[in-house]
Amino acid sequence: MASLGTFTLLAAFVISAYAAAAAIAGARRASRSLVDSAVGAFYLVAALLTVGTAVIIHAFVTDEYSIKYVQHYSDSVQPFIYKLTSYWGGLDGSIMFWVFLLAVFGSTAVYVNRERHRELMPYVVAIISVVQMFFLFLMVIHKNPFETFLVTAPAEGRGLNPLLQNAYMAIHPPALYIGFVGMTIPYAFGLAALITGHLDDSWLRAVRRWTMVSWLFLSFGLTLGMIWAYEVLGWGGYWGWDPVENAGLLPWLTATAFLHSVMVQERRGMLRVWNVTLVIVTFFLTIFGTFMTRSGVVQSVHAFGEDRQLAWMFTGFMVVILTVSFGYVIYRLPLLRSRHELDSWVSREAAFLANNWILLFAAMFVLFATMFPTISEALTGERLTVGPPFFNKWMLPIGLALLFLTGVGPLLAWRKSTVINLREQFLWATIVGVVTPVALSFAGIPFWPAGLSFALCAFVCVTIIQEFVRGAAVRKQGTGTDYLTAMVGLVARSKRRYGGYTVHLGIVLMFFGFTGEAFKVDEQMLLQPGQQARVGRYAIRNDGVRVTDDGQKQMITGHLTVFHDGKELGKAYPGKWLYRRHEQEPVSRVAIRRSAAEDLYIVMPGFELQDQSVSLQVVINPLVDWIWVGFGIMALGTMIALLPEQVLGFAAAKLPAPSSIGMLLLMLVLMGAPARAQHVVDPAFTPVVPKSALEKDLYKSLICMCGTCGRQLVGECTCGYAADMRAEIGNLVKMGLTRDQVLQYYIKKYGSQEPLAMPVDKGFNRLAWLLPYVLGAGGLLLIGGAAIKWSRHSTATAATAAPAPAAPSTEAADKELEARLDDELRDLD
Amino acid sequence: MPNKAVKIGLTVVVLAGALAGLLRATLRDGTEYYKHVDEVLVNPVDWQGKNLQLHGYVVRDSILRKRDSLEYRFKVTGKVGDDARVVLAHYTGIVPDTFSDDAEVVLKGRLEPDGFHVSPNGVMAKCPSKYEAKKTAGAPDN
Repeated sequence: MASLGTFTLLAAFVISAYAAAAAIAGARRASRSLVDSAVGAFYLVAALLTVGTAVIIHAFVTDEYSIKYVQHYSDSVQPFIYKLTSYWGGLDGSIMFWVFLLAVFGSTAVYVNRERHRELMPYVVAIISVVQMFFLFLMVIHKNPFETFLVTAPAEGRGLNPLLQNAYMAIHPPALYIGFVGMTIPYAFGLAALITGHLDDSWLRAVRRWTMVSWLFLSFGLTLGMIWAYEVLGWGGYWGWDPVENAGLLPWLTATAFLHSVMVQERRGMLRVWNVTLVIVTFFLTIFGTFMTRSGVVQSVHAFGEDRQLAWMFTGFMVVILTVSFGYVIYRLPLLRSRHELDSWVSREAAFLANNWILLFAAMFVLFATMFPTISEALTGERLTVGPPFFNKWMLPIGLALLFLTGVGPLLAWRKSTVINLREQFLWATIVGVVTPVALSFAGIPFWPAGLSFALCAFVCVTIIQEFVRGAAVRKQGTGTDYLTAMVGLVARSKRRYGGYTVHLGIVLMFFGFTGEAFKVDEQMLLQPGQQARVGRYAIRNDGVRVTDDGQKQMITGHLTVFHDGKELGKAYPGKWLYRRHEQEPVSRVAIRRSAAEDLYIVMPGFELQDQSVSLQVVINPLVDWIWVGFGIMALGTMIALLPEQVLGFAAAKLPAPSSIGMLLLMLVLMGAPARAQHVVDPAFTPVVPKSALEKDLYKSLICMCGTCGRQLVGECTCGYAADMRAEIGNLVKMGLTRDQVLQYYIKKYGSQEPLAMPVDKGFNRLAWLLPYVLGAGGLLLIGGAAIKWSRHSTATAATAAPAPAAPSTEAADKELEARLDDELRDLD
Repeated sequence: MPNKAVKIGLTVVVLAGALAGLLRATLRDGTEYYKHVDEVLVNPVDWQGKNLQLHGYVVRDSILRKRDSLEYRFKVTGKVGDDARVVLAHYTGIVPDTFSDDAEVVLKGRLEPDGFHVSPNGVMAKCPSKYEAKKTAGAPDN
């Protein structure tokens, strides 16, 4: 089975290469059949990767531990559903899942648009194929998920990290990946438009919906990540500015900017360079985010670990993306000139522009701050870190400015707003926006930042409600129906507009929830049995610790009684679970008492069975549930906007309507997925500490030779054999051997260069080291060459065929044929 | 349109300058030095009073907890097994599950003459990768 899997990957790589070459050649030769064959090959890649996915899932389900990846991320006792999700539980599989999604998405996009955008499609196919090739190349060369054990296959798997055996973690990565992968489609269309020079707005119409769908999934993925962090990780918050979270946020910010600025181009023909740039940057950031989390460039609690080779491959790819994309932007600048100039700063396009700048700045800031430790280390050699407070300091005003624009932008007129217009639109909103903080200050809420945030929330809410009410009133007059019908009719009539307002409403609610953070209470305590402690208006009493066992795990549960203002509210049971075979990774169970106003959040990090005492972390999180509600409303708004919009005729490049409803249902179901709170802290493994730079280097230069770990580096391998090897290396170094001498020692000991992580960089070995890269580059060159040659070939044959149409032999054959035809026709008569 | 170009240029310069200035100002008090115990021990006085993230290993049998409280005192060292060159750390609060003898930790806080004062929630037990289920060294791999 493993070889079938590897074969599908190889075949997919080759066929992607063909699709890219044939598509470009077909476009240049204007050969319909060549382009069709490229599209066919493109679909074939999706089919092959589906087969590959089936193979790997089959391997997981049938516990095929001869495949390393399966062995590493699954075991026989794992519930069925988590065997499936193990597919994307590790690095190799997640790359494969990524390509699989890309192939399916790409094929769908190409299929939906097969009768439209004829001039763009070949290039779209080629660009997506090249991106697929990159990821397939990564797998084939470096991270093949189908790699098998060479000698003996273990009988049992290691099991997926219990932290990931969780409903949220099952859906969170796919949602995020769909969002990431989906951003490739707009990029492919944008770059195709740049290459072909068909830079009218048709490519925008083709990608707007795709961007929206991807944006929705990205938002969904980010929200799920927050919920997971909140309910499972048990540190009391939902967003820690971790590099992995930031990697998802970056493209979200630029995609949000694009979804706004695209309207300006549609309406006013402005910002054309800007839109193309945003599409490119968004795609780039999805790749960059993957790079950041997969290559170990940035240290994070849940990055995948360090991998230099992968880092270089990604760097190469990113350089190519940037060079090609911006090269074309510069080349096409004359075609991208704006049709209009900005008339006034008090106009909707100006507000959108401001919103875009802020969003882009936010993205750049997050990028900078995330990379800051790496940057500072590279520049000064001193590793400086910035924590969440630094992010918050900057992102708070940025967020509030965006919130303000959310209210202002949609109410300004295109081109120029008049004073009368402004007064009419903003009178009530401004009054509410001013009264709210004043009223709140009497309630003891300071103006900065909570009061301002609440004021802006109120301001934006009024503007949105006003839009709905005024629109409905006009429609009611026009159609003579009742208010509610008018409202529904209004939304149905211009779904994009009112869908957008609904999204804004969701954003406001999310901000409302974020503001609760300002009133957060976080306390830690140690309670003896019967002892009681106050946290805010709550009091918590320790009733003791119980230990139970259900055969699969040992469960330690703290029994607490919660009081509010002296009144007993009920019991709370934070716990700690120790799974069999995972005793080193205790899983915390958070006890959360939810309410619209605030959550009481209790974790039990420590306990003492002898004296029944518990250590507790008690957090009061005001308004936090509004974030999740806000996301629900935001998703609903996006769905409304995504519904086919017959009235405005934007139905081009649409997704089938049922799919958005299906998606809505799916998300609603997923939102309600049971909150299975688990928390695993990494097992206590004895860390590997090289004593000198030489040792550190050797750890990376030698592989574990136990015969079953595959080619894991000595420094990374966790088996006992590697520990022995490390000790041996330590002794050798202590004896004063140089690096080469140690390597020679191992070559002699094992009789070959096998223990070396990479071949000695000399003579023939250098070739072995270079070969994969040479092959990859050669393949690319070949494709490019073939594409150019084929496209030239057509003009060449046309040129040679034209002057000599009357070659004697063909003429003779033609005459013969004509004679025969005549005969046959005569017979018919 | 040189006039327009100048306007745009000036706006960009002013905005970029202002933001860069702000960034510098906020960075100054927002950053923490990420230092290994060994680096700090070279000249501890240099690091006193600075925001630090101290990276090291908990010395075996050094964790002391005051009875019926969450007050901890423990030692961190640069290398596991090196009990001579250590920094004494003070902390009040809850420690992560993985905080134990020999655990690799990153401590946030300040170095003072009497030891390292860890700020609230400032104990992080480091994990190279949560996603990769690591096994205890010595346990049979595979």
